[in-house]
Amino acid sequence: MIIREILALIAFVIGTAFGIAGMVGLFRFKDPYSRLHAGSLCGTTAVFSYLLALLMLSPSLASTARLVILIVFFLISAPTGSSIVARFIWESGDAEQHRSSMAKKDKSL
Amino acid sequence: MSAFILKGMQTALVIFVCITLIRLMLGPTSSDRLVALNVLSAVSLAFLILWGIQTGRTLYLDVALVYDIFGFLGFLAITRFLKNREEGR
Repeated sequence: MIIREILALIAFVIGTAFGIAGMVGLFRFKDPYSRLHAGSLCGTTAVFSYLLALLMLSPSLASTARLVILIVFFLISAPTGSSIVARFIWESGDAEQHRSSMAKKDKSL
Repeated sequence: MSAFILKGMQTALVIFVCITLIRLMLGPTSSDRLVALNVLSAVSLAFLILWGIQTGRTLYLDVALVYDIFGFLGFLAITRFLKNREEGR
């Protein structure tokens, strides 16, 4: 029992560190692509670490099985949602005022 | 020890939700708001699962799975709506 709690504590510390880094990046970065990078990457890692910590602490077999299904589905759905948001930023052209190389007409990239 | 970890996780998630809500409110463009909403849906999913583990009821985990699926579909609907509005202007 104590090994599960130690592993849960390690996952909790890692998730909190990644979450704080993502929240700082959400405010420090200037254009929507960088904010999407910070938010989706660190947010996904923080939530995934928290789910691993909760997997260690789950009280019964029923909740453990549901938690495994939730982790698999979260790893599928979170990057897909970020991809939808990134395509929306590209098509709306909100980032063009920050850097000229992000404009859709610029073919240099 | 276990109660301490659950309590700390709850506090950290509430702080993350507050910071993300600030970004959601003062984001200058709709893209920034959508990025904040993407993070907010993941954090609220984690909070729902945390509550299910903390109270020991598996009902909340089923609700979390359905919330994840419909939040995903909601993103498609929101982006389609915003894109149509910008094209119609």
